[in-house]
Amino acid sequence: MRDEYLLAALRMGAGADPVPGRVSAAARAAFALRLPGGVAADEVAVAVPPGARSADLPRQGADGSAGPRLGAAEAAPDAPGFHRFTAAGLTIDVEASVVEGRLEVAGQISPWPGPDARVEVRTPHVGKVRSPSGSGHFAVSGLPPGWVSVVCHRPGLPPVFTRWVHVRP
Amino acid sequence: MPERNSLADLDQAAWEDLVARFDGRMWAVARAFGLSAADAADAVQGAWLKMVERADTIRDPGAVGAWLVTTTRHEAARLSRRARGETPADADVPEAAAPDPAAAVVDADFGRQVWARLDLLGEPCRSLIRLWVLHPEARYAQIAVRLDVPVGSIGPTRARCMARLRALVEEEAGS
Repeated sequence: MRDEYLLAALRMGAGADPVPGRVSAAARAAFALRLPGGVAADEVAVAVPPGARSADLPRQGADGSAGPRLGAAEAAPDAPGFHRFTAAGLTIDVEASVVEGRLEVAGQISPWPGPDARVEVRTPHVGKVRSPSGSGHFAVSGLPPGWVSVVCHRPGLPPVFTRWVHVRP
Repeated sequence: MPERNSLADLDQAAWEDLVARFDGRMWAVARAFGLSAADAADAVQGAWLKMVERADTIRDPGAVGAWLVTTTRHEAARLSRRARGETPADADVPEAAAPDPAAAVVDADFGRQVWARLDLLGEPCRSLIRLWVLHPEARYAQIAVRLDVPVGSIGPTRARCMARLRALVEEEAGS
């Protein structure tokens, strides 16, 4: 028997620390975050050569070709908070950080998802929608820190969503 | 809640039933790791978000409670390591938790039974476990002051007391 389970049972038995209402409310609201028919993009490991500088790294496109080089301000595989997800022929790079208490998310969809694609950066409480640039880049700021997920919507195709990532200062 | 063959057809009402049944247990598990209220809220929410992603892949709806509690434990363990300044390897947290049948003990009725067994332990176990349970964020130094024992003895004493309590509870369960 795990100590944590035994302690949790004792805590419940004492009734001293019930689950806060806002935690229950967030749990109930989470149901609305489902994307029926959507495709989950799993995180993949990104190999970064030791000592490599991010700006020098060629970016690999979903088709295996080297894409455009990253600028310093763009998602960089060796940066903390960098995550790469793939599914349905798409690669979604996400770099998330907390700046002055607010969540900033930058990233890139590759290959370019087309002019009518939309990128939605979601937290459990609020989401922001962007049209990716011609190179597939997107950026969002001013979100609450915590859990975040990126969804790529393309006309006529199921949405592709990243697994939820936890981002705190 | 009616038995379902799959969780893919959950509606809002069924989802809220799940929340009502399990969020208290999930919260208790997260707090049992000594997480702050903010971190515990993140751990519980992380488990629900994984549920949102994976509801249609959970094969056994009867195991969903164990799945939620187990997933919360994984998230809480990750946040607990982070709070201690360790860099958690994401690989340590399986994306899809296998439901741990042991999670069934996270229950208020069972907890009240364990409180009754706790009195059999005597001191200092009774006071130490009581303090630890009710103040999971307390540092060893604070517990040492309350119990008037050397701070270096808290860790070993706690481990010994928990082992005795586990043995009592398991003996009870087996009898």
